[in-house]
Amino acid sequence: MSADNKDDPFKSITFGKSLSLRVDGGFNAVSISPSGRDVVLASRQGLYVVDLDDPFSAPRWLHHITPWEVADVQWSPHPSKPSWVVSTSNQKALVWNLSRSSSDAIEHVLHGHSRAITDINFHPTNPEILATCSIDAYVHAWDMRSSRRAFYSASVWSAGASQVKWNFKNPNVMASAHSNDVFIWDLRKGCTPLHVLKGHANSVNSIDFSRFNETEIMSSSNDGTVKFWDYSVNEEEPLRTVVTDFPVSKGRYLPFGSGFCVMPMIGGNNSVYLSNSITSNESGPISKFQPIYVFKGHTDRVSDFLWRQRHSTNTLIDDREFQLVTWSKDCDLRLWPVNESTYEKVGYERLCGLEKPLPDHEYCTFRKEPEEAKAPTAHTARWKEHFVTKSGTEASDGSNNINHLAWVSGVRLHHANSPHDLFEEDKLQNLGEEVSMIGHKFPKIVFEKISVSTGVLVLTLNGPWSENNPDDYIFLRLEVKFPSGYPQKKHVPRFKIEENRELSEKKHHEIVDQLSEIAQRYTDLGKYCLEPCLRFLLGEKVNLDGLQEEEQLLNLDLVDHVELDEFSSLASSDARSRALSDGSNTSEDDFDDIDNKSSADGFVARSAHDLRLDTTPIPKGCGAVWTAAGQLVCFFMVENKSDKKQSIFKLGQRGFGGLKDAHKPELLYEEQDANFDRPKRYVDTLSASSHHNSEAANSLNGSDSDASSDSFGDDWNDIVGNDITWRTKMPLISNFKKSLASMASDDNKSSLSVQKSKNTVIVRDFSHLIPDKKQLAMEYKLYGDSLESVCKYNAQVATTHGFEELAHCWRMIANVLIAREEKNPYNFGWDQHSLGGKWFVKQTMIHFEKLRNVQMLAILSCILMDQPMGKAASAPLVPKKGEETIITYESNFVSHSQRSRHESITSSMRSDDYFTGTHGIKTLKPWTPVPVLGQDNLSSHNMLPDIKIEIVNDEVLDLLSSDSPPLLDAEDEAKYRSYRYQYAELLFYWGLLINRTELLKFNLDENFTSSVWHLLNHPPQPRAQLDYMGICYKLLEHKGAGAYFPRNCNYCELRVDGRGSVCGNCQHILHADCAKIWWDVSDECASGCGCECVKFFDVV
Amino acid sequence: MVTITNAHTELIHDAVLDYYGKRLATCSSDKSIKIFEVEGETHRLVETLYGHEGPVWQVDWAHPKFGVILASCSYDGKVLIWKEENGRWSQIAVHAVHSASVNSVKWAPHEYGPLLLAASSDGKVSVVEFKENGTTAPILVDAHAIGVNTASWASAALQDGAAPQQMRRFVTGGADNLVKVWKFNPDANTYLLEDTLEGHTDWVRDVAWSPSVLLRSYLASVSQDRTCIIWTQENSQGPWKKTLLKEDKFPDVLWRASWSLSGNILALSGGDNKVTLWKENLEGKWEPAGEVEQ
Repeated sequence: MSADNKDDPFKSITFGKSLSLRVDGGFNAVSISPSGRDVVLASRQGLYVVDLDDPFSAPRWLHHITPWEVADVQWSPHPSKPSWVVSTSNQKALVWNLSRSSSDAIEHVLHGHSRAITDINFHPTNPEILATCSIDAYVHAWDMRSSRRAFYSASVWSAGASQVKWNFKNPNVMASAHSNDVFIWDLRKGCTPLHVLKGHANSVNSIDFSRFNETEIMSSSNDGTVKFWDYSVNEEEPLRTVVTDFPVSKGRYLPFGSGFCVMPMIGGNNSVYLSNSITSNESGPISKFQPIYVFKGHTDRVSDFLWRQRHSTNTLIDDREFQLVTWSKDCDLRLWPVNESTYEKVGYERLCGLEKPLPDHEYCTFRKEPEEAKAPTAHTARWKEHFVTKSGTEASDGSNNINHLAWVSGVRLHHANSPHDLFEEDKLQNLGEEVSMIGHKFPKIVFEKISVSTGVLVLTLNGPWSENNPDDYIFLRLEVKFPSGYPQKKHVPRFKIEENRELSEKKHHEIVDQLSEIAQRYTDLGKYCLEPCLRFLLGEKVNLDGLQEEEQLLNLDLVDHVELDEFSSLASSDARSRALSDGSNTSEDDFDDIDNKSSADGFVARSAHDLRLDTTPIPKGCGAVWTAAGQLVCFFMVENKSDKKQSIFKLGQRGFGGLKDAHKPELLYEEQDANFDRPKRYVDTLSASSHHNSEAANSLNGSDSDASSDSFGDDWNDIVGNDITWRTKMPLISNFKKSLASMASDDNKSSLSVQKSKNTVIVRDFSHLIPDKKQLAMEYKLYGDSLESVCKYNAQVATTHGFEELAHCWRMIANVLIAREEKNPYNFGWDQHSLGGKWFVKQTMIHFEKLRNVQMLAILSCILMDQPMGKAASAPLVPKKGEETIITYESNFVSHSQRSRHESITSSMRSDDYFTGTHGIKTLKPWTPVPVLGQDNLSSHNMLPDIKIEIVNDEVLDLLSSDSPPLLDAEDEAKYRSYRYQYAELLFYWGLLINRTELLKFNLDENFTSSVWHLLNHPPQPRAQLDYMGICYKLLEHKGAGAYFPRNCNYCELRVDGRGSVCGNCQHILHADCAKIWWDVSDECASGCGCECVKFFDVV
Repeated sequence: MVTITNAHTELIHDAVLDYYGKRLATCSSDKSIKIFEVEGETHRLVETLYGHEGPVWQVDWAHPKFGVILASCSYDGKVLIWKEENGRWSQIAVHAVHSASVNSVKWAPHEYGPLLLAASSDGKVSVVEFKENGTTAPILVDAHAIGVNTASWASAALQDGAAPQQMRRFVTGGADNLVKVWKFNPDANTYLLEDTLEGHTDWVRDVAWSPSVLLRSYLASVSQDRTCIIWTQENSQGPWKKTLLKEDKFPDVLWRASWSLSGNILALSGGDNKVTLWKENLEGKWEPAGEVEQ
């Protein structure tokens, strides 16, 4: 490290400000140097050392490629070892010495664990000692002076350790968390734990000793609680339990005041919560978590948080200041200021006296490569060979293989102290942003050096400054030095162009003068001037007169303001400079280039490039989607008049610009109708919407800049193509706004209230339009004494719910059925006829098909399915006037009738006087006038077929010998099955599972059905050798245990007394025999619960 | 009636209630997906899902028997699968086989298993099956050369004798103004073109297959040409019959078509920011059944 690195922490430009730093590359662990100057990030690629005071400089990269995620990295907290960092590498721990050269920085390798290390902790007082813990359930303590073996080991045997911590007060005590318990160890007591703290219901993720009280420790767990223990008082019960609503991944005491900070494992708005312990004490041992401050803004889970602190050297006054550093899975490293009110709330009194001075740390950075790489000592050389450490050749050049431009553009520093001001800022915030923006816009400008902190840029470009040939381009190297006040007035950057053979001295002066002039004019207005200066150097004309009006020049949404000719000049200068840099570069190469890129970059680069080929249609802003319950979810765009007007204007402009692309047939697509200027493709709308966005969100918003114009898109593409880390995180620029918009807020509220109304979602209930009704489904019956009574009952149900039309239909069906049940040959006669009941039923079905009334179709198909033997009790249903002889006989179609739900298999028949045979004309109409019928109602709604039935057939005698024919066509059975199936889905949706099963029984095959019926009627004889189909719960026979299970078979609805099979998953029960039958046809549970019981046990 | 305004900072492109009608998922150009819990008149934002790198076009809930699972598709060419467990949402899978914007994503009828259909502007549709063992088996089909705007599954018609997978069909609509019907071929393990339906004169923006299998199969396709065509097929075979929903054109381009569960009401929406409902009367004519405006 060089001496000039030593700075005063109170001159830090980042302390007390919010900063967000994007670091791509899958970093998992983070730690901060005790001086608060550097942050180290660890990933499978190695370590990044980031200087927080110069965030714009690319980090130092210590290569260490491993296939294992780095679980933890810790910076030594001791002033005597300021350059030590320890990180994990699976089962080993590596101790890095950052004052050595990057290629040779590993000083010790601690190898003692047999499985992955999960946590490391430096000893708080002895700089040579550290502890590690691992999944192998061991905790080791190491002394760096003899690092080959751990000097202390202890194990819990039963569970891997998640964290280890040294006691701050007692140097012999440490604690580790294993599964749900916390163990306290004493080095002097061997491997017997001093205390075991049990109480968490789930694994403990984090522990932390109190800085003040030796025996106080806090533990944070997956069970969503944080517990505070004092094991000298009570090791059985925690002093206090704080309940949060998320699993806690890290919970630590604050280094100042008396409070603690927790962060969620998942959920919790990806925030870090700060709470003070004092207030909650009053509310008893268990209290709800009450954060007093929330650091909110990360868009993904926070991996770790750290406290950066600074204080005056060698003083007895506690003037420590803190800043929170968080690292999140969203790849942002953030610095959050802590304000005075927070200090107050946690009872931290600044500027009070101290008993002994705080340890002073040299405020220097380890980001820079040490100037002279020390020759490796024999000691480290021995260890080094075990590792695949990448050689330092490329690592030692300044860029460290990290794309500096990409890095710079990931840095967001906010000058404003109040985070709330950030939303309004729509301009460039600092030089870093200006440079990164220019990097995107002018890919042909090569930045050789970017030092934002010192304000020095070195860049090279090709400009048309040749005196002999105006078309010739000259290579220029430009050094720009920005004063620290830039871009305020009087802080004009200085330009220096390197001496160049091709550039005459006169021209040289001319250019520098011009540049100074431009810079002067811009900075006079407090504007950033790099872009116009570079435009000038690239050969464009810079108009200084309209400067005052050109407010927007530095905004990213160039498109709206750049004239058409400016477009072309940009593009051509691009092309020319490219041609110059590579003479053989043809447009074909260009395409190859792009192809290569697109294959490597995947989609992003390609889509950015092939805008012309992008056929993504314009987004839908309005739509409606049905739900199964008949609700309609609609979403709309909210437009206000002025918006609309502007966007039309912009569209026109874009269309004009777009015409230079010959192949854009869509743009020429026109209709007479004015409405149809509307573009068809998404990309065509982008310039319009970008205007929209910038207006509404006031922003450098992402989607605008990435594709707002073709030429810009190309620039973008080139940039994106430059670096791998970029590709994975495409909308870098777009994140600017997001990161700005999400800052710490004192309360929990998000602060997105700035936007105008953009959209609205409405859920409307249209269930009255849907023919299938849940209330009917709940009451409809499929079973009953007789089919006719079932229909009558259903008619009543429909009437009570006000579905008169359905009720009417039910009554008609009921009447048809009466006739059949009575086996009255007259009825029989016309019913049998092709225009009889069968015809009626068919028409009814067609009618409901047209209405798409699946409910009616399914239920009717069930009821009418086994109509022929639909017979009930032997007693006549309708009292007849004159009693006749009643012939009772055994039904001869027993096997057939098994499908029927009716208990009796005997049918009774009245011997009417068939032979008198009075046949005549019968109409259906007279049947219907059941009192409640609302005739007009019916006709207005629907046209039920008006049925007139004429009986012509008088071959009555034939009928007696035959079974009455089914009312439904057998060939339609497949269709009806599908209706029932659909209706069953609907019943499932409504949660009417029993109804569903009832219904689905009708979809069983006839063969199966009959055998089921057979089995039900003839309970199976107990047999010795039973092929069990599942688990037979003997428990069922015991009353107590049986209470847990539904005792009725889900298949036949009968009580399960003997062998039963209970699904281990859904607990539904079947008779063993029913199970056999059911599972032959289905994998799903017979109860309709959706469980696939068969999968849960082996079926023979 | 629930109204949610300003849920997103940009236009909303889709809003879908889950199976039970309790949770609403919306997605937007602001690259996020939001989950609301809807109860009666009230609603509550429960989660915002970030993960897409471009505008999110469509979301779809999987059948609850697979868990609380949501699929989303975006301009970034990816389909992301999200899952909620114990109140926590996480992204459980990425389906990134497309090289351009994925415009539509739909879960298959649950009988087919966790099967996802995605349509992309790269001209392909993909059917990806999320298998038990965590692997996926995407089937890619070149559907419409210029770009596929939409795709929709046929309902799972219960057919006797046929294995359910043999009946798998879906329909796509593309920038070539065509509607195409595809059917699974188990031997080739891919989807083969069954029918090509010509009728639109501009990009087809949405197709919807009626969920109910009654007398005939119904398809509705809406297009940039401001028409909606109802296609019908008898008994899942034979030719498709074309009927214009209404003879004259709609006032603006049509974007979206959705059938009610029983297939009796068709909801159409489009550039005029209006939702219209249609039903077929007993004579087979389509007549308006309602309208919703913002």
